[in-house]
Amino acid sequence: MKISIDADLCTGHARCAALAPDLFTDDDRGYGVVIGDGVVATEFVDQATRAVAACPERAITLTTGDQS
Amino acid sequence: MQSSDNDVIDRPFNFMDAPMAFDRSAGWAYVNEFGPVFQTPDGFWMITSAEGVQFAHRHPEIFTSAKAFDQLGSPVPLIPIAIDPPNHLRFRKVLDPMLAPRVINLMEDQLRAQARELILAFAGTGKCDIVADIGRLYPTQAFLTLFGMPLEDRDKFIGWVETMVEQAVVDGQAPGEEIMLAGLALFGYLQEFIDRKREQPGDDMLSAVLALTGEEAFTNDEILGMCFLFTLAGLDTVTASIGFVMLHLARNPDIRARMIADPALVGPTIEEILRLELPAPMTPRVTSQAVEVCGVTIPEGAIVQLCIGAANRDPQRFVDPNELNTDHADRGHLAFGGGIHRCLGSHLARRELRLVVEEFHRIIPDYQIAEGVAPRIVWPSGTLHLSALPLTFPAVSG
Repeated sequence: MKISIDADLCTGHARCAALAPDLFTDDDRGYGVVIGDGVVATEFVDQATRAVAACPERAITLTTGDQS
Repeated sequence: MQSSDNDVIDRPFNFMDAPMAFDRSAGWAYVNEFGPVFQTPDGFWMITSAEGVQFAHRHPEIFTSAKAFDQLGSPVPLIPIAIDPPNHLRFRKVLDPMLAPRVINLMEDQLRAQARELILAFAGTGKCDIVADIGRLYPTQAFLTLFGMPLEDRDKFIGWVETMVEQAVVDGQAPGEEIMLAGLALFGYLQEFIDRKREQPGDDMLSAVLALTGEEAFTNDEILGMCFLFTLAGLDTVTASIGFVMLHLARNPDIRARMIADPALVGPTIEEILRLELPAPMTPRVTSQAVEVCGVTIPEGAIVQLCIGAANRDPQRFVDPNELNTDHADRGHLAFGGGIHRCLGSHLARRELRLVVEEFHRIIPDYQIAEGVAPRIVWPSGTLHLSALPLTFPAVSG
């Protein structure tokens, strides 16, 4: 599984970094940034789904499969 | 294309007819009955669906803000809420980092101590009014702290702002003398502080804005406008939210007990209450062109209200939308708006709420709404807030 943020939609609510700190950080403006390559380890799938649900802009996508 | 949904409504829409006073679920159900997009008898347009509101948030070039805030008649530019792109980005680029979560982290200890002090002031008496004893006071303290202004000026400051907000201009009527005097006093105070901070900068947000140079520099009117907007948008909204959060915790002892047992639930509980109870439930825009939203065409030049209060209970986006359910935790609500105008102060507001909840329950875990009181909001009103929230509890000694 892989997590990504659509930078055109993010406006800095910073919910992802608050709820999924192992997957996201926030930049100087409070905008979400994916940590590393965005591959979600099994133990962080719960964090990932929480971040997807919590993003008011619907800017976060969790994809399954072999996308790179 | 007009939907035929309106046929089932026997009386024309009037927001003031919504039964909000005691129960916002009933109030927003009334609004939602009129459909996702509709025109009111007095010519405004309402967008009530989450999909429609989000569409407007994503298209600030169509749903513009500059004209939308003209009705407030502010003598200075309301920065950045009433600024459209591309100029808007210039302001947000420098203001966002000043209110980012990592900056608020640096204020946390100070703000926590202030919350604690306010609560300890009444803890020994066995009763309090959440609205008067914390809600009114704490957001202004947080603002003064952020801007490096003395806390001793709190009550004076609150007096001016409340006069201006509560008696705000309605339907283009000229403001009364009392409002004018409060406004003059507030502007005079802010200007005096701006001048002082220019001379002697401190470690605060106002000094940081004044220190901007080159293309980033604000004019004096822009700084004044920003200060003015912060007082209009950042004080009574948090006051109201403190009241609503404590109202629902008082009414739901089970949710409260779980939250006290598991501090990780404080955030989700607050988010869920923010979704349901909005102090500023509508934000205005003016269309720059005709636009179709949810199958309805809104003409160019229309004044549109993005009805976040209704969108936050849209069953298309939220399962069991009227339920306060902390299992659903943060469901991506729109209480802080969205798009480029996403509430600039949201991270500070959230922190204030969390600190009040944490400190209150640490000191006073066991409380109830005072006997015989049915808490209600001031209604009708453009902004939603409780008139009072009296609580009783076992007095806490020393």
